[in-house]
Amino acid sequence: MKKTLFAAALFVATATGAVAPAFAAPVSYKIDPAHTAVAFIVNHVAFSNVIGRFNTVGGDVTFDKDAVEKSVVNVTIDTASVDTNHAKRDEHLRSPDFFNAKEFPKMTFKSTKIEKTGDKTGKLHGDLTMLGVTKPVVLDITFNKDGVSPASKLETAGFSARGTVKRTEFGMKYGAPAIGDDIQLLIEVEAVKS
Amino acid sequence: MSELLQDPFVQSSVLPLLVGLILVGALHLLRRPLAAAGIAAGFLVVFALVIGLPALPPPSSIGKLFWASAAGLLIGVVADVAGIRGRVASAVLAVWLAASLLWIALPALDSAAAIVSLVVLLGTAAWVAFARGSETQEGESPTAPAATLLALALAVGGTALIGSSASIAQMALALAASAGGFLLWNWPVERHGWGLSGRVATGIAVLLAAVLALFTQTQAAVLLLALPALFAGHVRRFIPLGDGLIGRAASSAAVTVVAVLPALVAIGAAFALTGGEASPY
Repeated sequence: MKKTLFAAALFVATATGAVAPAFAAPVSYKIDPAHTAVAFIVNHVAFSNVIGRFNTVGGDVTFDKDAVEKSVVNVTIDTASVDTNHAKRDEHLRSPDFFNAKEFPKMTFKSTKIEKTGDKTGKLHGDLTMLGVTKPVVLDITFNKDGVSPASKLETAGFSARGTVKRTEFGMKYGAPAIGDDIQLLIEVEAVKS
Repeated sequence: MSELLQDPFVQSSVLPLLVGLILVGALHLLRRPLAAAGIAAGFLVVFALVIGLPALPPPSSIGKLFWASAAGLLIGVVADVAGIRGRVASAVLAVWLAASLLWIALPALDSAAAIVSLVVLLGTAAWVAFARGSETQEGESPTAPAATLLALALAVGGTALIGSSASIAQMALALAASAGGFLLWNWPVERHGWGLSGRVATGIAVLLAAVLALFTQTQAAVLLLALPALFAGHVRRFIPLGDGLIGRAASSAAVTVVAVLPALVAIGAAFALTGGEASPY
């Protein structure tokens, strides 16, 4: 009798999702712009490396903690929000020489595959569209933490990503190679459950 | 050598001047009535060397600028070879220039300011196509229209350089240098006609102004100050032409200087409005 009751309880618990780990569903998150940074590093005529960032970033993450490879990431960046802490240079970066922000106001990343490489690490494959050109890119991603944020009291997930893209492959040829072709990306994301 | 070719100064002045001189010279030897086509051809060669050959169909305004210019050069050469002149030539030029402007401008027409810019550009294009004195027949003076082109291209190039749009600046200055090469071939003795090929090169300066005005944050309104350069052909009538070689050479030089003055005023205004600070990349 006890065995029958236990089996019935287990069935009900499983069917209603009480036994969460075995049946965790993908959870949708919205990127929190206040705690998200998309930064880049580019070599400047071999003298130094210039650091810049995009101030307007949005998107969503569908995160499946138990099957990370099923997670999906979509990010949209306003190219006009480029910021290198120098107004004149930023004006130049928005011009057709670089991001051509008037004609291509958005830069997008859509994930295509996630490979797990460790407990908290993986390779994030996706398509980056910039200047109307779409190319596959691979980012090294680290899953930092998920849970209720002590600050916002909201379900939050945090990731870091690093990678390199060649800007000339997207048609951004101005000044290359004196102004570096390889662009290092540093991405920090906090996403809030939607 | 490759480092030398990557120098922005070489790319926007020495290289296009040499290419312009060589192409105008080659056309002078091969088919003299087409010599003015060397200006637009020189511009396209330098564009391909410096920026690269754009994709077709072009994804951006810079690519459209190249292919519209190439189409204009083709139209100009065909019209000059076929001997098309007068109103028909003007109409052909107007259709090419208006179509090119609309093709380039369409993605940027998102504000009243952009529409006003396009109207001003179309008005300038109409002037380039139809204004009396903007066309000279073969054998007549090519100096005034070439000086007008030199001035307009300098104004666009200088304003773009101050406004942190280096590619447009380089290409406009390349067009100016190519026009300079043509002017050198016609100084002190004028050897060539202007024809539709030459007028197409002036149209390319208008297209460059369109990209600058519609796709950058440059103070492109100052380019209005350069428009008096369009009257260079009329100014020539007030400069006495000497019969001798020296008199004609001095007259050509004076027309060129007078045409370039409004361009310098426009560049000065751009400098004054922005403080003249260039992009440090």
